[in-house]
Amino acid sequence: MNHQDVVAQLIELVTPFAEGRPVVITENTGITSELGLDSLKVMDLVVAVEDEFDISVPINALAEVRTVGDFASLIQKSAGENA
Amino acid sequence: MKENPRLKAVRAVRQELAAVGIDPFGVQIDQIVSPTEGIIDGRPTILAGTNNYLGMTFDADCIASAREALESSGTGTTGSRMANGSYASHRELELDLARFYGKRDAIVFSTGYQANLGMISALAGPGDTVMIDADSHASIYDGCTLAGANTIRFRHNDADDLAKRMRRLGDGAADALIIVEGVYSMLGDRAPLREFVRVKKEFGATLLVDEAHSMGVLGEKGQGLAEVDGVLADVDFVVGTFSKSLGNTGGFCVGDSADMDVLRYASRPYVFTASLAPATIAATRTALRKLEKATDLRKRLQANAERLHAGLSALGFRLGAAPNAVVAVLVGDKLEALRFWDHLLKHGVYVNLMVPPATPGNESLLRCSVSAAHTPEQIDAICAAFGSWPGVKA
Repeated sequence: MNHQDVVAQLIELVTPFAEGRPVVITENTGITSELGLDSLKVMDLVVAVEDEFDISVPINALAEVRTVGDFASLIQKSAGENA
Repeated sequence: MKENPRLKAVRAVRQELAAVGIDPFGVQIDQIVSPTEGIIDGRPTILAGTNNYLGMTFDADCIASAREALESSGTGTTGSRMANGSYASHRELELDLARFYGKRDAIVFSTGYQANLGMISALAGPGDTVMIDADSHASIYDGCTLAGANTIRFRHNDADDLAKRMRRLGDGAADALIIVEGVYSMLGDRAPLREFVRVKKEFGATLLVDEAHSMGVLGEKGQGLAEVDGVLADVDFVVGTFSKSLGNTGGFCVGDSADMDVLRYASRPYVFTASLAPATIAATRTALRKLEKATDLRKRLQANAERLHAGLSALGFRLGAAPNAVVAVLVGDKLEALRFWDHLLKHGVYVNLMVPPATPGNESLLRCSVSAAHTPEQIDAICAAFGSWPGVKA
């Protein structure tokens, strides 16, 4: 999976969670800092991502995720491990 | 001193509560009258927010055992078992627990929280995988953090979702540790344990079941959900607590593993914590002996749970699960739940207010825990207090 393709797919998944936030979501957008997702919403987003990409995302790895791009990289890593 | 930014979120919640003028998380029970009654703010109050499922806290035999141990062995052990020595009674309680469950051995911890921390961090480490139910208790999440293992959540009570995630692990699935609870503390719903055992066997993995809210409550002998479902032999580790049906403080793990005696020394929450006081151990041993034979108490508990469940259902409330020792009323909105909780307290009924993120599905809950020691009249009084909430349409 190409990183930019994953980012594009992820932006589509993140958008409904960021409803009401006047932010153009890019690779560099902060998931909690800019989109304001609380811990519950982050976990819902993780489930949506897991279903979409058919992967399991270890919750301990989320500590390193700040931006949409970070999450895309984690998705790629998880997909590689699941393959 | 400048404000610690890490406390920002908690500080905000405290300020929010202060603005409303209700503090559900700092309740002081000025006097404990019985397992089911206390004095709060000068009012006689029915306690329906404890986990005193069998009412064991005031059992005369348990109190006598504690008193005798207190007199003979002193107030505390003043150290950890590994560094400062075990008392004979610590080991005797472990053998009692192993016998009770029909398992090879047991390890006693100083709290139920530490039992999960201690077992999970001893069984798994960096590079290992732990599969946990999404609605797991904080002690399970924290145990995984302490372990530093890859922690994967599966959908609550969904064995198919677990199996799907196990398949993704490939050959690594056989080394995974699966963790579920018998009864979930927030809603009181049970795990489909036989299905989880099936998945565990399919992949050759290890299964740990936390029976904190089901020990003493479920099963002919009170061994919990694994006994009811007939799968105790297939559960590798049972974790439990002394602070619910046994009416005390402490935690434990039982298992058939040949490594039980090694695990305790690999467990930092075991090694670096002061051991339980002699009176606690003595009362717990007595409570365990009584729990095994407490079929009548379990029947009374179930009858009380059914009475409360039926009463609250008749009032039109949404409830979390089938009748069980935990009866959770789903309120939805946090502020309404807070005011409702306060209304109940002012009408002489103490229940637990549970709000997200501790609750599943973003729901706020008024969680009632039923005791065998509640009288039918107390159960009716709890229902009447719920019924007096202005939001009730009935």
